[in-house]
This record gives sequence, structure tokens and C-alpha cells, in this order.
Amino acid sequence: MFGPKVKISKDLMEKIKKYSALAGYSSPDEFVLHALEKEIAKLEEAGSDEEIKKKLQGLGYIS
Amino acid sequence: MRRSVGRFAFLLPAALVLLAASPAEAYIGPGAGFAFLSSFFVLFVTFLLAIATILIWPIRLLIRLARRKGKLAKTDVDRVIIVGYDGLDPKLARRWMDEGKLPNFKRLAEKGEFRPLDSSWPSMSPVAWSSFATSSDASRHSQYDFLSRDPKTYIPDLASVKIVNPTRRIKLGKYRIPLGKPVVRLLQRSIPFWKILGEHGIFSQIIRVPITFPPQKFNGAVLSAMCVPDLAGTQGTFTFFTTDTEGAKAATGGVRKPVARNGNIVEAFVPGPANSMTEGQEELRVPVRIVIDEANESATLHLPDETFRLRLREFSPWKRVTFKPGLGVRVNGIVRFCVLSIRPHFELYLTPTQIDPDKPAMPISEPLFYSVYLAKLLGPYSTLGLAEDTWALNERVLDEELFLEQVWLNHEERERMFFNAVDQTKRGLVACVFDCTDRIQHMFWRYFDENHPANRGKDTVRFKHAIENLYVRADELLGRIMKTCDDPRTVLMVMSDHGFTEFSRGINLNSWLALNGYMAMKNGDKTCKDWFQGVDWSKTRAYSFGLTGIYINKSGREGQGIVDPKEALALKREIAAKLSGLRDEERGKTAVNDAIVAEDLYTGPYLDASPDILPAFNTGYRISWESAVGKADGKVFTDNTKSWSGDHCVDPRLVPGVLFCNRRLARKNPAIVDIGASVLDLFGIERPRHMTGRSFFRAAPEEDSAGSVPRGAANG
Repeated sequence: MFGPKVKISKDLMEKIKKYSALAGYSSPDEFVLHALEKEIAKLEEAGSDEEIKKKLQGLGYIS
Repeated sequence: MRRSVGRFAFLLPAALVLLAASPAEAYIGPGAGFAFLSSFFVLFVTFLLAIATILIWPIRLLIRLARRKGKLAKTDVDRVIIVGYDGLDPKLARRWMDEGKLPNFKRLAEKGEFRPLDSSWPSMSPVAWSSFATSSDASRHSQYDFLSRDPKTYIPDLASVKIVNPTRRIKLGKYRIPLGKPVVRLLQRSIPFWKILGEHGIFSQIIRVPITFPPQKFNGAVLSAMCVPDLAGTQGTFTFFTTDTEGAKAATGGVRKPVARNGNIVEAFVPGPANSMTEGQEELRVPVRIVIDEANESATLHLPDETFRLRLREFSPWKRVTFKPGLGVRVNGIVRFCVLSIRPHFELYLTPTQIDPDKPAMPISEPLFYSVYLAKLLGPYSTLGLAEDTWALNERVLDEELFLEQVWLNHEERERMFFNAVDQTKRGLVACVFDCTDRIQHMFWRYFDENHPANRGKDTVRFKHAIENLYVRADELLGRIMKTCDDPRTVLMVMSDHGFTEFSRGINLNSWLALNGYMAMKNGDKTCKDWFQGVDWSKTRAYSFGLTGIYINKSGREGQGIVDPKEALALKREIAAKLSGLRDEERGKTAVNDAIVAEDLYTGPYLDASPDILPAFNTGYRISWESAVGKADGKVFTDNTKSWSGDHCVDPRLVPGVLFCNRRLARKNPAIVDIGASVLDLFGIERPRHMTGRSFFRAAPEEDSAGSVPRGAANG
């Protein structure tokens, strides 16, 4: 309710609603989130190699 | 104006409380740091929320009743109880039902239905349970494996959880205080069907369904499971103390710690999280002094706040430990001890140090107090996602007997949680997943085949009936469940996410790619080390990691991609065609029944996260341990000699799960994606358009519309 808000024009919102359903998203919010995340991922730096490997330790399926 | 006054009224007592605060609780993320979260502050906010909840309760009740009136009144269902037995196999269930060993499963099947349940593609727990939760295939919930990767760096990560640590810190003497708390995000997409139920005023209790961590807000209660980390931030790291320094070696999934014995005294410790409040981030520890009593084959363990005695090879109850990183911060954990040997060497096993559900260092339930409530009611319980220590058995730190004991100790806790939820639920949904079926089948499958390579040097007799006993015990639990659910307005479903089969041969896809010219190494060799160390990406067109498949090294997507996106599909088809029908000449068997290109399987919005090629392995074969961690060792096929001797990461059509239901189904071929849609249907709620699942209580217009497993996509 008090989270960050982004303004989107009405016609763009209508398109988001229409195409999010067609694409198989569960909601327009999920569509917007995915679109933004894909763009952010191109810019974001990767985490530490060792830190990530440690997180996976103990996962039964891999050694 | 009133709002401002309210805010100040909130701040004043909060400030007073904070000034008088006693030791604070810490909030940690897996492998992340601490952030201050005063227990008093939490209590104060909780108190305010409680008052607000009481004040608006009549309004919420009216809204809920109004919603229910239009929905539940039209149905003949009050409760839906879903019992998930992870990995319960339909062939084994049928066999032992026919032999009269599973009378309750048989009774349920005769009363309603027993059918194989199509699994997800791939047939792996995080994928299948995500399909269960969202009634969607992987391309709509974005879970394809335990692992995902950063295409820019080829570094793996957990597919279901993203952790972002606070980057800003302030220096305070020797401490580095993080500003803010770690952000832990669930990466599963789409919407769980219980959230939709909640929006219609139907309350659910969701207990230990995989891939529910971090827990998400909805009108109901959820206790997280698979992928909940231990306090060290790993997926479960046991500790093994031994006075045998000669035999000591590194252990997968655990840490071996050599200790000295002085007379009858051994000094050990319980490992905790790294202290992210200090520059060195040293491991936090709680000391344990052990006094050995050789004559009575026992030991007395002294923790800072508790002393207890343990007989040899006896698991302790959960013991609470408190780590103190400094500045009054406390991190609470629980751990079980087991003395494995007293002579010739003293050996002590510690479970991974787990989040204390009574004082959780990070949320493992929604609402937050649900885990606390269960701990107060039922006592401490295991909280780790994969709490059965399969690596301790693989590494032969625990033997079969102790592993089974650990599994059943965990299972008993979950039974108590489940029956408590069922007792409380007069209307709504209870879904609970029991892991014992998966873990025991993984670790004891070798007993079915005396020629299994994992049998070398191990017992093949004593626990020959462990899996049969598991099914009998699951049946006995089902008998007790049926007694509590024996009314016509309760729908009972017993289901599994996949079945099981043998895992005797590993396939190294990276070796195969290297030998077939798709992967190149810097030294011109055909081998590379873990996580692609030594790979020449400038000449590599495809690579593999995890348990699902092969990725194209695509330009514009991968950091050092070389395959033109326009040529990627043709390359996928070329590799898939070459891999299909791959033979293991040493065994004279077909190892890969088929290899499927992602575009032929999926149509959802997260197709881009899928492996590009998904091999459908024959029974007995799985991606090898080495290949899963991005290693190529020059050999395509190797024997699997680990105790982890059964698996389900094969062609999903070979390992369907089960569905037992006390009502008849209208369709012959139910799939795991159908369950959410079916539960919505039972409560009179229309299926949202994004779901690929269909209610199996209604005849489908087209028989093949529901399953996540493509029918006819492969040769079968």
C-alpha cells in the first residue's frame, strides 16, 4: 500500500494488461516486474563466486 | 494531522522502549549479515498490529462471510486435505497394495481413485512442487532446477531464492554495522493457488511445501521448507568432530574437525554464522565440553547453559544455542548431537545448526509468529529445507541406521504439525509435504539391485526392506489421517510430485559436449574443473550444469557468448538430435531416450530461463555428480557409487507421481499442474487464465490440455 509507485500512461497500462494475460503472466504486476528485472540484470554486477558456492553446500543433489 | 499525531505517539514509546532495550535479536540472511532488529521494537509493532487486528476484525469477518456466501455455499466441500509424500512411486505403491501391505492406500483407492500423476518437466522437486503451487508449467513459474546461473559469469546460484546483502555499513570500534537488513526474495513466479483461495476468504495452512521460502504473505499460514538455509547460510552443513587425525579429509556437505582428547575431555563447539559485524567475519561458535564415560559408553556434554548426557549412537533432542556477535545482538539456533564412537577414536556428529523456530533469526513462516506458535505448541523442530542429512550418509559419517533414525525424528515433528492443522481447520485447505519418502528412496534404492555399483563395500542385507517399511509406515499414517477426515464434505488427496527409479550410471554432459566439439578447453584438453575452470568460452558453443540440461553459449545472453541468436535454434536441434538415443556401450543400454528443445516444451513467459536442451534419460541414468557442478572429466559414463542410489531426474514419463483421492476424478490422466486448479474448482472458484492446469473433477474438452509433461513430444 505504501510501497514505491511508478506512473504508467493509461494506454500503456491497457497494453500491459492485454499482453500480460496473453503471454501467460499471472498479473500485469508480474509482467512489469519481469520486464524490469530483465533490463536490470543486464546492468547488475554478479555476486561473489565463493559466497555463492557456499550457499549451495549441502544441497543433496549435487556434490 | 491525525496521522502525524499517531506517528509521534508511536515514536515516543518506541524511543523509550529502545533506550531501555535489553539484548536485541538479530536478523540474518543466508550467508548474509546481521541487521539490528530490536526484539522490543518487534514486540511493540506486533502489539500495535494485534490491537489493529482486533479492532478491524468484525469488518474483516463481515467481508469474509460475504465472500464465502457466494462461493462456498455453492459447493459440497468444506475442507480439502492434501498429503504430499515426496517421491511416492505408483509402481511400488501398486505392488505393495496388491500384496496386501498397504491396506489404507487400497481402501482409499477403492473408495475414490488411484492414478499415476504426471510430473513436471523436468521431474524434480523444486520444479514439480512449484507446478503444484501455481498450477502452471515451469515456463510460467520459472523454476527449472535447484540451480540457475548468471549467464554473464556462468556462476551458479539457487534458482528459487535471491539474497541481496546490505552494502552500506558504519564503523563502530571493531564492528562494522550493516545499515539495513538482507533482502531475501522468492524467485518462483506466478501465484500459489492458496493465495487465490485466500482472496476468496478461504483460509489455508501450508506446511513444508517445497519452494515456499522466503514465505509470502497471503490469507493463511505457511511454514517454509526446501531451500530454507541453516544458520551458516548453506543448504545444510554437518560437523564431524574426530580424534582420528590420520583419516581426516574434506567432506562434501559437511566439515570434519580434528579434535584432541585430554584424558576423558574433548573440547568442541557448535558452529554458527559468520560474524558479518566484524571485518574478519570469523565463524561464531558456542563451546561444548565433552566428558567421556567409557565404562558406560556415554558422554556428558556441557553447553554454556545446559548439561546433558548422551548414550553412544543416540541423537540428542534439539538443543538451543545462542551466538553473540557483539553489541548485545543474539542469534538463536538449534542442533542435535550424536556420539558416533568412543574408542578407538572419539567421534561426534552435529546436525547443521538450524534456525530456531521459536526465535527465528529470519522469517521462515508467514505470518512470522506461525513458526513460533508451532514451536511453543509442539517444541523445537527442524527448520532446514533439506533436513535429512543425505551427505552425512554419502560420506559414511552417519550409517544407514542413524540416517533412518534422523529421518523419522524429523518426520514425527511434521506429523504433529499436520494433525494440529487438520484439527484446527473446519473450512479451508491443509497441505503438508512429508519428505521421508524422497530421502529414504534416494539413499536405499541400491538395496533393490544387488549389482548396483553403490553396493560395493556396503551392507546389502540389513536394510533391504527400508523402502518397503517406508511405504508401510506411510500407509499407517494414512490410516490415522483417514480417521480424522472421514466426512463427506472433506476431500482428501494423497499425492507425490514424482516417482522413483534407479541411479546407477552418471552421464557427464560436459564431457560429451567436449568430446563432440561443442565445448572447448583452454589447454586444448577435453577436461575442465568444477564450475567450468579451464573452459575456453571463446570456442565453446554449449555447456551444462545442474540436473536439467544443456545451455547454448549465446551471444548477447551469455557473458562470453559466441553463438549467433539466429543460429541458436538450429544448433539446439543439432545437439538434441545427436544426443537422442545415446548408448552406454559398456552396459549395452540406451542412456538418453530423447533430447527435447525447450521451445518444443514450453510457451510461457519464462522460457528464456530454461535450459535450451532437456535430455530425457532412461532408467538408471542421471546427470553425473561431476557434470552437475560444471566439470568435464573426459568420461561420458561413470558408475554411481554413492549411497544416493535412487533418483527421479530422468525422463518424466518414466517417473510419474501418485494421486489418491476419496472422490472420483472425471479425467483419466491427472497431472501435478492440475491440483491447484482442481482445489479452486472444489471451492467453486474459477480457474485463472494463466494456469495451465485444469480441474480433474471435470471432463476436459481435450485430454492433453492439462499435463506439464508433453504427450507425444518424444518417442517415449
